[in-house]
Amino acid sequence: MIDAQNKKSRGFSKASAETSASRFRRIWLAIVLVTAGLGVLGTLWVGAAKEMLEGQDSSPATGGPAGSMSKEVSPVFTSARRSFFDALKEYFSLQPTPVQPIAFNHRIHIQNGLQCTGCHSGVTQGPDAGIPSVSFCMACHQAIATEKPEIKKLAAYAAKGEEPPWQPVYWFYPEMHVQFQHAPHIRNEIACEECHGDLSKQTVAVGSKNLTMSFCLSCHKAKAVSVDCVICHY
Amino acid sequence: MKRRTFLKLSAVGSAGSALAGCGHQATQLIRFIPDETLIPGVATWKPGICTQCSAGCGLQVRVMQGDAEVFRNGQWGNMKMGLAKKLAGNPEHPVNRGKLCMRGEAGLQATYNPDRIRHPLKRVGQRSSGQFTQVSWDEAMQELLAHLQPLASPHVAQSLAFLTRPLRGQRKVLIERFLSSFEGARLVPFELFDDAVLRTANRLSFGRDQLPTFDLAHSSYVISFGADFLGTWNSPVAQNVAYGRMRQNRSGIRGKFVQVESRMSQTGANADEWVAAHPGTEGVLALAIAHVFLREHLGHPEAAGAAGMRFDGWREGLPEYSPEAIAWKTGVPPETITRLAREMAAQSPAVAVVGGAPLAQTNGLFTALAVNVLNALLGSVGKPGGLQFTPRPPLSASGSAQEISGEGKADSVRSLAQQILSGQPKPIELLLLYEANPVFATPPGWHIKEALGTVPFIVSFSSFIDETSSLADLILPDHSYLESWIDDVPESGTTEAVVSVAPPALRPLHDTRALPDVLLDLAHRLGGRTSQALPWKRFEEMLQATLAPLARHPGSISAKSSDEFWKKVQEQGGWWSANASQVPQSKTPVDFSRPMKNQEPQFAGAAAEYPFYFLPYASQQFLDGRHANLPWMQEIPEVLSAGMWGTWVEINPRTAATLQIEQGDLLEVASPHGKIRAPALLSPGIAPDVIAMPVGQGHEQYGRYANGRGANPIKILAPHDEPTTGSWAWAGTRVNITKAGKGELVLLTGGPTQWGAEKSAR
Amino acid sequence: MAHRWGMVIDLDRCTGCEACVAACHAENNIATVSSEQAAWGRTMHWIHVERYWEGAFPNARARFQPVLCQQCDAAPCEPVCPTYASYHNPDGLNAQVYNRCIGTRYCANACPYTARYFNWFNPAWDKPLHLQLNPDVSIREAGVMEKCTFCSQRILAAEVQARAENREIQDGEVKPACVQSCPTTAMVFGDLDDPNSQVSRLSRSVRATTLLSEVGTLPKVTYLERESSHGSE
Repeated sequence: MIDAQNKKSRGFSKASAETSASRFRRIWLAIVLVTAGLGVLGTLWVGAAKEMLEGQDSSPATGGPAGSMSKEVSPVFTSARRSFFDALKEYFSLQPTPVQPIAFNHRIHIQNGLQCTGCHSGVTQGPDAGIPSVSFCMACHQAIATEKPEIKKLAAYAAKGEEPPWQPVYWFYPEMHVQFQHAPHIRNEIACEECHGDLSKQTVAVGSKNLTMSFCLSCHKAKAVSVDCVICHY
Repeated sequence: MKRRTFLKLSAVGSAGSALAGCGHQATQLIRFIPDETLIPGVATWKPGICTQCSAGCGLQVRVMQGDAEVFRNGQWGNMKMGLAKKLAGNPEHPVNRGKLCMRGEAGLQATYNPDRIRHPLKRVGQRSSGQFTQVSWDEAMQELLAHLQPLASPHVAQSLAFLTRPLRGQRKVLIERFLSSFEGARLVPFELFDDAVLRTANRLSFGRDQLPTFDLAHSSYVISFGADFLGTWNSPVAQNVAYGRMRQNRSGIRGKFVQVESRMSQTGANADEWVAAHPGTEGVLALAIAHVFLREHLGHPEAAGAAGMRFDGWREGLPEYSPEAIAWKTGVPPETITRLAREMAAQSPAVAVVGGAPLAQTNGLFTALAVNVLNALLGSVGKPGGLQFTPRPPLSASGSAQEISGEGKADSVRSLAQQILSGQPKPIELLLLYEANPVFATPPGWHIKEALGTVPFIVSFSSFIDETSSLADLILPDHSYLESWIDDVPESGTTEAVVSVAPPALRPLHDTRALPDVLLDLAHRLGGRTSQALPWKRFEEMLQATLAPLARHPGSISAKSSDEFWKKVQEQGGWWSANASQVPQSKTPVDFSRPMKNQEPQFAGAAAEYPFYFLPYASQQFLDGRHANLPWMQEIPEVLSAGMWGTWVEINPRTAATLQIEQGDLLEVASPHGKIRAPALLSPGIAPDVIAMPVGQGHEQYGRYANGRGANPIKILAPHDEPTTGSWAWAGTRVNITKAGKGELVLLTGGPTQWGAEKSAR
Repeated sequence: MAHRWGMVIDLDRCTGCEACVAACHAENNIATVSSEQAAWGRTMHWIHVERYWEGAFPNARARFQPVLCQQCDAAPCEPVCPTYASYHNPDGLNAQVYNRCIGTRYCANACPYTARYFNWFNPAWDKPLHLQLNPDVSIREAGVMEKCTFCSQRILAAEVQARAENREIQDGEVKPACVQSCPTTAMVFGDLDDPNSQVSRLSRSVRATTLLSEVGTLPKVTYLERESSHGSE
């Protein structure tokens, strides 16, 4: 009799233990998922609110924090990125292909004997390679290939006194805090193609090399150059 | 399994939606073709001249390519241009020798200020309402011309006045020449802390109507009566440079520095000995030291004869100024006075400095002359380690400080107000304004706003709307100084003759025009005498022509042609010469028939009702309030109080305890002429019967960073003067204080003796 | 050639003018936080001038002391950073890598000089004030610690220049913004590993002290004590 009772009670508790354990797991999972979901929604909401408020000229003197946040959103929290999607893009180093105002053809120019430094003259002197002004282009193109539609576009900009809005192809997100200096690399005879690919095979420039930090480090290590953080990130 | 799939799907989903985001948004504004070729990321250094105060330091401007929104050909667009990124001192400039003060560094914010006026404006609302609408330059010039033309006629019944900050150099010469063709036109310089008393005293004592230059680098003893010479007074950077050399540049010689004042200033904190004297008694103290010199046959009494004879009792050895006799008056023990006199006689070269509050008393001239006597006794005048004067450059019209008409009473905004209200000798029909803000920086008792407000037409050339320029009917904004041709002839701070010249360091950001060019254009259009007096099209041409004679004198530039000279002058930031001969001293006949007797300082307000002396002091950040619109200046703390973003009332801790005032309590400070409120700040360095407040806040119309912040102590000051010069005695007011609730102090650190341990009062 | 960058501040020359504070703001794109945030203690003056009062009127004395990151050789802020954002670089600098920083603020907690500052907000500059920004210095976003870097951008620029000209950096060639602006020349910067540099010689002065050296941080900023004159007080 006692045995049967014991058995019964053991069986009963075992069954309830199983049920409790899985129930706890399920409740715990539900709590985690709901919290995560709320967190994502919250970030999205603030991000959207922030984009809405972007462009409002708020000043440190108007009482709010020195950010483009207004009184409607919490004065304590400001996001480091403009929106959640911006943060995601940066995290995955996603750089969508830029849309150029004029289909500049590198191949033709290189075939005609132009050197990289002829247009991107800043590389030997400073941090930035630079993109030449339309007046530099027109020095040749006032006479050369003037019937081509792209050159006509160029001439139209020049006539209006405007620069074509060139979009950078190789760039870093500001929050990567990379202070890249071209000149020391050029002085050490690093060829342009090593980081920018062979432009003589490209028409409109595309990012053919993925300039990640490991890309830079591999070359720095191979050439036994400093890999101290501060030489690039300051 | 289900969970993992869910998570994978959400990750892919988010990534996908991220990818769907568009690429770079092309900027909406067009991009102009740049005017200049700059290598991106590479800096060039260009010379400049600082106009943040009247010292006239030379600048080096770091220029780098940047993207700015500019106004060109009638539209806004982006343009790559050279932008000033950092200001530093010009290492070659004789005044500041490569160094710069905090206000100089903040000059970038004056150029890039969001509240800068970007184009000509015309008033639409009531005067002073701040309601303006944009107009074109053509329209603005036409309107101004329409008001100028009738006033240019030979026997016109009305006239005009030009109210500016004190000007020097060819800019001043140009404006004077422009005005000379209008009968009865007045050029009225205005500056709150203008040291007119000191200039008059120097003219009377040494024949030089000019601020002094102190060769501290070679001094062995410096005694300063209230002059904040390491902070805000005279030529602060030059004085700091010299002070650093005085202290540690000479092996074994460090010099001794004594400061005499009633509230410890930033300068006073550096003194080896700090002497507390009652306000307005500094002159008597100086004469007491002179008494000891005469009594004990110290120094150079024979050299001091001319300066000393001004004072009653000089020949008898100044008996009424013995240390024992005046100890009670000054609060300085007689032993201290005697000891100081002996020390400075023994440690030669010694020099005495006076400036600031002691001269802003009704007996300010008396005090200045007394300290000049001391300098004469010390034998410091014109000597190394002593008091000297910046030589005038060898130009016929240099616009230097010494070309003020030698009457001693500089034209004042008060007499202008009187003329406006009375219409005598001629009614003022047109008022031109340039970088002067008397509506903010004068006491209500002068009725400046009321007076200026009655002028039929007011035109401002200032870059900002402030309390004064908001009265304007028409605004033709000047460039900022970094965008302008600037020239200057420093009044003090160097023993070399200096003509500073610098071209613009960056192109104009906004649709503004250089004031000198506007005046030249107007002169040309007016024709007649006016255009004859100013035959140039641009200020650059005028500078090149008028400064060309400098090439003939030995100086910092050697050139074979006048073109080469002009090129080098611009590159260096000016011309200077250590060899320029001193201007002969003016032989003002000295009248000894009425020797000066002791003058007690007069304070507005009876002591019984108003128990405290009130000391408004030039603040480190804002000077007289002109820099309250610069955010760096709001946030960098005043060094002794650590206060930011506000105004405070400095009160002695024992006095505060007696009155049960705690740090942060809101106090109402009342004088016979007004009252203001600010939180209390306990300061160990202030006398128990003195209340001090920094000047500079309390703006109502000066942009987003300045408006509605703090209180303006100028508004409670009594409008009484030093009688001989007519200079305002702004340190001669008494006040009482009452508690008015809880205030807010924004302090960088907590307690005065601990490091961030106490919370800021809130 | 490796250097060991250090600084000497002569308190006998320092007059409390705060030109160094303004120069640092201008050079390093330091945000202005607003008066409300300043009241909360969130200002970010990488260098600021302390004043220490002693005594009471009329014998009150005030001493000035510019305080900045001491670039300690045994920096307490380095071992506590979970992401190695605060680390010691081969030139002796305590470097802050903004990318790695996740804003735990443990380093600020550990610093005995309270020389580290947290970006509570994204900085913003009312246009066109943004044109004052120095392109050579990163803009720190919200959530990141910052502090004095001894103007690393100027040190690196000098190294690049020196290497381009095939020479070593000269003593006095590198001047952080504060050192450059100091009117009394109270501040000197240079290589402590060069025994002949001005900074080395001055740090051996009889007046040399360091701040909170008893804590064992081995700071590389040496202060020269203010002197007093003879025969007075």
